[in-house]
Amino acid sequence: MSKEVFSQISPSEFFYRNRDLAGFSNPTRSLYTSVREFVENALDACDQKKILPDIHLSIKAVDTEKADPKHYILTVKDNGPGIDPEHIPLAFGTVLYGSKFGLKQARGMFGLGATMAILYGQITTNKPVTVKSCSDGKTLDEFVMLLDIQKNKPVIQKHNTKEGSKTGLTVSIVLEGDYSKAGSKIRDYVYQTSLITPYASITFEDPSGEKFHYARIVKEMPRPPTVIKPHPHGIDVETIRRMITDTHYQIPTIDNKMIDKVKKELSLKKNLSPKEILERAQKRWSDISRPVRTVVSVMSFLNIDFEGLKKIRIDDIDIANKTITYWDFGESQSHAVELDPESPYYKQLASTVQGDTLLTFLTKRFQRVGPTTGEKFCEFAKFKPDKRIGSMTNEELVKLADALQKFEEFLAPDPSCLAPLGEEPLSKGIMKFFNPEFAAVWQRNASAYSGFPFVVEMGIAYGGDIPPNGLKVYRFANRIPLLYDEGSDVVLKIVNETEWTRYKIKGDPPLVIVSHICSTRIPYKTVGKENVADRPELERELKNALQYLARKLAVHMSRQGAADMAKKRANLYSKYVPLIAQFATELAGKKKEPNYNQLIRMGSEIEEQV
Amino acid sequence: MKNKSNAKTAETRKKRLLSLLEQQGINIYDHLDKGKFPQFVIPSRSVSNIVYDKKIRQYILGSASAVRSSRNMSQLRSYTQLAWLAFFVNRLVREGKSSTLRDIYYSSQAFSIDFEDQPESDNIIVDLEAVLTSPREEFHIFPEERSSVFGDLTIEYTVPGYEGKRMNLSDHPDGYLIGPSLSSAELVDTSAELVIAIEKGGLFTRFVEEKVHKKFKAIIVDTAGQAPRSTRNLLRRLNSEMGLPVVILADGDVYGEHIAMVIKSGSANAAHLRELTVPDAKWLGVWATDIEKYKLPTIPMTESDIKRIYDLQKDPRYQEGNWKKQLEVFLKLKRKAELEAFSKYGLTNITDKYLPAKLEESKSF
Repeated sequence: MSKEVFSQISPSEFFYRNRDLAGFSNPTRSLYTSVREFVENALDACDQKKILPDIHLSIKAVDTEKADPKHYILTVKDNGPGIDPEHIPLAFGTVLYGSKFGLKQARGMFGLGATMAILYGQITTNKPVTVKSCSDGKTLDEFVMLLDIQKNKPVIQKHNTKEGSKTGLTVSIVLEGDYSKAGSKIRDYVYQTSLITPYASITFEDPSGEKFHYARIVKEMPRPPTVIKPHPHGIDVETIRRMITDTHYQIPTIDNKMIDKVKKELSLKKNLSPKEILERAQKRWSDISRPVRTVVSVMSFLNIDFEGLKKIRIDDIDIANKTITYWDFGESQSHAVELDPESPYYKQLASTVQGDTLLTFLTKRFQRVGPTTGEKFCEFAKFKPDKRIGSMTNEELVKLADALQKFEEFLAPDPSCLAPLGEEPLSKGIMKFFNPEFAAVWQRNASAYSGFPFVVEMGIAYGGDIPPNGLKVYRFANRIPLLYDEGSDVVLKIVNETEWTRYKIKGDPPLVIVSHICSTRIPYKTVGKENVADRPELERELKNALQYLARKLAVHMSRQGAADMAKKRANLYSKYVPLIAQFATELAGKKKEPNYNQLIRMGSEIEEQV
Repeated sequence: MKNKSNAKTAETRKKRLLSLLEQQGINIYDHLDKGKFPQFVIPSRSVSNIVYDKKIRQYILGSASAVRSSRNMSQLRSYTQLAWLAFFVNRLVREGKSSTLRDIYYSSQAFSIDFEDQPESDNIIVDLEAVLTSPREEFHIFPEERSSVFGDLTIEYTVPGYEGKRMNLSDHPDGYLIGPSLSSAELVDTSAELVIAIEKGGLFTRFVEEKVHKKFKAIIVDTAGQAPRSTRNLLRRLNSEMGLPVVILADGDVYGEHIAMVIKSGSANAAHLRELTVPDAKWLGVWATDIEKYKLPTIPMTESDIKRIYDLQKDPRYQEGNWKKQLEVFLKLKRKAELEAFSKYGLTNITDKYLPAKLEESKSF
């Protein structure tokens, strides 16, 4: 019989093996993806701290003589808050370390991409990543490090501290890339990112030394998004399971730190007997924290003092069988003690282990669920409101998740977690970038699909400096330009379905459309995250926005048309009436021409007869 | 000798035209001076407004007319073009100068009257014909194609430099071009008793060589296919001013029959004009029935020949008599014969045998 070998792989190794998924399939795509990841991290960091971003991106060839693909040094510098030196090795040296797990709109989802880029650079060139960070405005920490792929651990090669003056972060990697192929996409990316981030100043220095500078257009930053609780419609079984796990109070790890905390909250200076400790705790019960209450309850059942507590490890509290099991280090054996349900401490332990009631859980952990809605929901889902969530079986969880999806009385998701750019900055960006003859923008009210809120904002620009090469659509999602897979995108679908002649637009118009979708979860069609799926709710919002703007454009076009017509009339009458006068004078056999000025004026002023 | 029998001479026609032009000019002038938009009233030439007048035996325009107003921006350009043409024609007629359709198109450029192409200027010329109910030949505007005339006819030129000069049209055996100076000439006198219009230049020359003009006391006119308007106008004047009967010889096919019909009663294209028809003209041949009667060599008709027969059968002028009958016979034969077919029986057969026989026969129709 053969024996199957199961071996665990680290997240780093997992990503290394599946790097295609993350956009690192070839030197061209990898260079582009790396640029995106670092620039987006830099912008996100600035956004979070309300700092007007100042981003410098540079790509330099290690050996300019070599042909592509070759090694490039990619450096992104920002003026963000920087990172505390103690977090840097973990933040840049491990995969899945990040703080972006909350539910709000951000460019990157989990902060994985930057580490992937570092990993990709290391794999292709065997060169370390250099991170320079200043988080206090005084000291600048520089780390040079490699990633231990198997262990998912950073290997610091160099660390020094210098004097710093401004906060900010600079990340520099060496990676294999193909700029000759990726160049145009990267330039497009920087251009379009500047358009949707008009409050940022972005500079890009390409391998030939050419600088592309996009100055800051507006000085106000859009309102930052707030982290919010999930909406019941946007939840699945797995998410609920995770929420329950981190909701119900764990038995606190009882170490010296915990014991100090208990002593502090009870204001104990010397060692007291278990009985004395309990008495003290009773007096202050309403003031002490939940973990301390739990520890005190355990002490009451085991009848031990702090010294005793240090010698044991609590293994299980089994409410069903009313027993508490612990391991005694001194005796190296397990003990079980029966719990007395009459004891006042029993309830404390029971609720700790079994968690909140369903009603409390729902109101505390979800948006749009208050006590009334919560009770209505419990009735709808056929759960008792005081059911302990810790006691739910797998089947019950599935039933709960299903009911949360189906219950229709929850209000629409709270959009405060979204951060659209806003009409004014969007409009200013469009004016600056295209210098059009006409522009209009509109931000729709928030809407939602399957529990995820979203906002559509759109701009339209016509004429002026826009070349008459036909319609051009700039697509953005959460302030990221979408450059690939244009054809299958929902925005393109809406634009192409529009009958432009109805809006007095013909031929190859000098027309630009800027579409920005903000959501806590953009419904991308593919893992590549470049095209948005045609969800009906989203499609409707996009269509409404586009129609509104197209109507405004049509008004402009007819006004423009009327002005053009008046001008044309004036030109025609000033050209032809004198000729007619000349011919008539000779025909009539007169010497002096008639006074035709009045007629020219009248001709120019007549309204077109339909 | 026949003398002028009609008082309507070239000179009076010229006076009438110049007066019409002056009226138009004064009308426009006054409008401009009073700050009003001048306009032309143009009889409509649309198909629905073309009707056959049985009394005068030609197509005429109905009562519908269109207004071309300088008030309407989209008509301003063509209004100006029409005003310019009136102005230009006035100069041509006053100064006794001639022009052609093509020449008009090019002349316009000197006055910043921008015609897009010659068809556009040709159309404006037709508009002016309709406004003034006068053919363009009276405006001294001629098409490029020319037909010829030969025979004992004395004319007196009215064109500048030749005023009063007389000429007999039998002096030159190639015949005389029916051009601007001949069209504007006064017809003085003739010994001829007949006008023979013939479709083809080759036979015209043969007729001169065979002295048909002497044998039949005839003036011979080469129509060079479908007769140009100046030729039709000359035929009419020979008929109305000199009192000569007009007979027509054309190919033995549906087109030949229609050439005769157009000389007799005009074309739909010129429904806005008068004075271009010879209502008493007679079609000598070659008839469809002649093909069998004279055993002429034939060639088969083409699809378009046959289609043309069906088209003409809908024309009100082909609804009765010989015109109707011949169409039916052509349709039955589905074959056609050219005038040259007679040469099968000798080069002079057509003048020696056919022509006398048909002239004799024509006295009865």
